[in-house]
Amino acid sequence: MAALLIDQSASSEMLPSFALEPCEGAARRTLRTQIAQLDRLLSAASCEAFPDRLDLPALAAREPRIQSLGELELLRDGLIGSLREARDALAARELERAAARELLEQMLLDPAKHRRVRISQRELGVGGCGVWSVMPRLGPMGRLMGWWRVKLSSGCPLAT
Amino acid sequence: MSSEVAAEFPGLRADWIDCACVDHRCDRGVGERLALLASRLNGRQALELRQQHVPAAYRSFLRQVGIDPDQQPTPIEQAVLGRLLSGGNLPQDRISDGLLLALLETSVPVVAFDAALTSPPIEIRGAADNELVAGVGVEQGTLILTDSRQPLCQLFASPQPPLAAGAKSDRLLLVAIIVPDVSAIVGDEALTIAAAAISGG
Repeated sequence: MAALLIDQSASSEMLPSFALEPCEGAARRTLRTQIAQLDRLLSAASCEAFPDRLDLPALAAREPRIQSLGELELLRDGLIGSLREARDALAARELERAAARELLEQMLLDPAKHRRVRISQRELGVGGCGVWSVMPRLGPMGRLMGWWRVKLSSGCPLAT
Repeated sequence: MSSEVAAEFPGLRADWIDCACVDHRCDRGVGERLALLASRLNGRQALELRQQHVPAAYRSFLRQVGIDPDQQPTPIEQAVLGRLLSGGNLPQDRISDGLLLALLETSVPVVAFDAALTSPPIEIRGAADNELVAGVGVEQGTLILTDSRQPLCQLFASPQPPLAAGAKSDRLLLVAIIVPDVSAIVGDEALTIAAAAISGG
């Protein structure tokens, strides 16, 4: 019967270099693929956030060069952090929009209880720059009589 | 391509083409094409550009070489940002217009060198220790474009005089930098568009 003896005390330095290099190459390839995928997800998040801007951590300006394994890992981890922040920001924005939509529904159901409340289309996540506001019908007369209504302004054609 | 760079980034390459530039004045036809490209653009399209295949490949590549594309945008994003800020693709000169047209049409960056001062083949490699690129020392390992005699410029940087094509250059060497995941045909298209716009063909 054949027996295989393994020297547990042998360090990795004793291994021949050809056994390590392919492993590092594979690791680098995997990290580069992960970085590319994360960048695509981050781009999608930036596009989803439009017209708002995501404030994500930035890398310092550098010159292009082949990154070491450690640098690639740091890059990958940084992108994971950025993606998490982007998704949190989008989720928080969606909650704000849902709250704004709910408020608009309540305004429409009972304008008198929401006097002078204003909600912009942007807060609702709708395109354009119109504003929903609760205003008195017929000006001062409506205010005195309690005739309140919800009005959508037409917005501005050349919004800045 | 140096073996180290080729092993790290299979598919990264520099393609080149030689072209004549007899007249350096702006070409009306090219100006009209630039104006047409400018008129179709708005902020949302400019942002969504990064999700298209070729611009996304350049963004990924910049990330992989340690550059944050949100801080130092890819050439196509820089061109589109310039269009948004200036309100149009303003004509400059025949060479700049030709390079901009190729970039906007294909998203592949093309740079122009004076053909009299450069000698192909063009390759991409890491800079040696204390190597001078366009008279400026760069860090060891910085990715640079070189010809058979000298370093030309840093990857994705604008060429500097005297190697850069200028008003006195009558023959140009156009170089397209093609990153992994971008088809060779797109690079060829960029070079052909730039050469035709510059030489008036």
